[in-house]
Amino acid sequence: MKIAKTVGILGIAVAGFSLASCGAGGENQGLEFAPQMYHSVAYEPLTQITDFETKGDLISTREDGKGEYFNSNINNPHNMNMREPVANTVPRDKNGYLPYRYKAFEVEESASTKNPIKLDDAVLTEGKRLFQLYCTPCHGAGGEGDGTVGNIIGGVANLKGGAYLGLSEGHIYHVVMKGKGRMGAHGSQITPENIWKIVHYVKQDLQGGQNADTAVAEVSDQDVTQVETPAN
Amino acid sequence: MRYEIKRRSGQTSVYYQFQFEKLASGSTFAGVIINHINYLISYNMLSKRSLVGVRSNFHTLAVLFFMLIGMQAFAADPAVESGDEAVAAGKALFNTNCKTCHKLDQKLVGPALRGSTDRSGIESVKSFIKNSAVVIASGNAYYNKLFKEFNGTPMPAHEFLSDDDLNNLLSYIEFGDVVDPSAAVATVGADGAAVATGGGIPNEYLTVILGVLVVVLLLILVVLGLIISVLTKYLTKQDLDADDDEFVNQKTDLKKVFKSDMFVVIVTALVIALVAKTALDGLYSVGLQQGYAPEQPIAYSHALHAGTLQIECQYCHTGVEIGKSANIPSANICMNCHTHVQNIQGKEGVSPEIQKIYDAVDNNQPIEWVRVHNLPDLAYFNHSQHVVVGEVECQTCHGPIQEMEVVGQHSALTMGWCIDCHRQTEITTEGNAYYDKLVQVHSASKDALKVKDIGGLECAKCHY
Repeated sequence: MKIAKTVGILGIAVAGFSLASCGAGGENQGLEFAPQMYHSVAYEPLTQITDFETKGDLISTREDGKGEYFNSNINNPHNMNMREPVANTVPRDKNGYLPYRYKAFEVEESASTKNPIKLDDAVLTEGKRLFQLYCTPCHGAGGEGDGTVGNIIGGVANLKGGAYLGLSEGHIYHVVMKGKGRMGAHGSQITPENIWKIVHYVKQDLQGGQNADTAVAEVSDQDVTQVETPAN
Repeated sequence: MRYEIKRRSGQTSVYYQFQFEKLASGSTFAGVIINHINYLISYNMLSKRSLVGVRSNFHTLAVLFFMLIGMQAFAADPAVESGDEAVAAGKALFNTNCKTCHKLDQKLVGPALRGSTDRSGIESVKSFIKNSAVVIASGNAYYNKLFKEFNGTPMPAHEFLSDDDLNNLLSYIEFGDVVDPSAAVATVGADGAAVATGGGIPNEYLTVILGVLVVVLLLILVVLGLIISVLTKYLTKQDLDADDDEFVNQKTDLKKVFKSDMFVVIVTALVIALVAKTALDGLYSVGLQQGYAPEQPIAYSHALHAGTLQIECQYCHTGVEIGKSANIPSANICMNCHTHVQNIQGKEGVSPEIQKIYDAVDNNQPIEWVRVHNLPDLAYFNHSQHVVVGEVECQTCHGPIQEMEVVGQHSALTMGWCIDCHRQTEITTEGNAYYDKLVQVHSASKDALKVKDIGGLECAKCHY
């Protein structure tokens, strides 16, 4: 009787402490209940399981015989889930913008591009917010080339310096989009629409409006009314 | 003191220049010292001996100095003005237009500028500042060599600078802010010392305070023990009645205490409670990944990038405002800065961690970051919805990312955790016509309009 009791109590204690070690931490993801619900069979963004063989702890229900959690695309380089756009196709956004066509070295040609965004207070506020997100690390809050990162990199343009005041909006857009000198291309990070908003903010607020676009350009394909496909 | 000597030697610069022409151009330190010595020598010797003797002395001394220090002296074109006003005006111009790429006595993005008028002549410097591309295209040998030396980094044109501006700028470049090397070293040393001592103070205080407290408590214990022993000694000598005598001579029976029912019950209850709690905690942690902080392929520090350098999260995680996932940046975003930053500040060579980015770019090989936050497939979550419309800060869910060396999962990401937030969060309805009708319908209620009131608790919002 006594022994049974002790064993019982010990058993509870052991079960308790072993359960306590289920938690995640460091490299350990912790115990998963129903792991098949955690690991997506469909392609997931930012994660891919390339393990072909492991069948998992439970009964695998996969019909293709691959590892239980395998969810990579075997047809892509590096088994990646995302693909680059098909060659020779032209994406358009919902504003009807075509991709920017100038190459990085065509700085002078780009100068004639006009800002398609109509200037108003909301655009300036948004431009300021975007400037703080994407530009202040190097150019500093006031655009004077004194940001925390800019001080390390060195050679960051002082946007209020004489050499930059007279630049056209198309030039600024081009430099943000494609990079110039020590500045990298930011076209993959900021949408064209947002770059034009930043350009408005830089021109109007930081540079006092010198050589700003007065007439708003017509978007070349404005008559193309885009039927918006709802995002899921 | 030294500045003054420099200025005086500047006034007689034609003479010195004759001596140093072949050797000229370069850094302040050697320049100042040589000028200094030259000045002293000439001052002492010119009065006594002939010029020829002095000259030979100059020469040997100067050459000796060059061999010893291994630095070059600089000189300025005599046409450059050295007046205080011109230098001050030039400094303002320099700070707005040149500072980010040039220093006077050190290489930065571009070459050190002091002595440039002497190296290439005042007029060609001016035309180079105005439009460097034209000068380089014209085939100027000196500037072409320089251009190559600095990896073909072009300098923007400065056509807007007037001739007066250029003169002032050159005055500042040649005569402004002469650094006293020993003073500079001293301040750097002092700064370093201040930084070193600044960090440790609070911790030391804490240990000292704790130590003192422990010592005080021990002393009190000793004193109390002494008092008890003195009192018992005194009491045993007295005549006491039976009750008091028993009290004074009582002995605690440990065995009896251990065997008493009370003790057994209390201990059992405690053990059961403890075991039950750990078991329940353990059960609740099944399927939770809170605290999961895997090692990443590159030892990227958010504490450095988002904390110290204050780069906004959206700079790299660009998808957070436009898509479901806040994407992990691809290597080209790293390269915006790391083309230039190859190691931690102040270290030479390429850091092995940064080298991994270069390898990834060179081989077109994706960096395989380990995903930290995993939602089960049965739940839908959209970043842009929460960040743009909800205006939720990244740190609300991800915790103090700007302090994490290795990113770990901060929040539980359970359904209860989501729902809690939806129950408490009020909606900013002002200036958004979308909410007008909802506000109208809700106006009968006393509580503010919260996420739960507009469907934040509906199953199908997240599970479908």
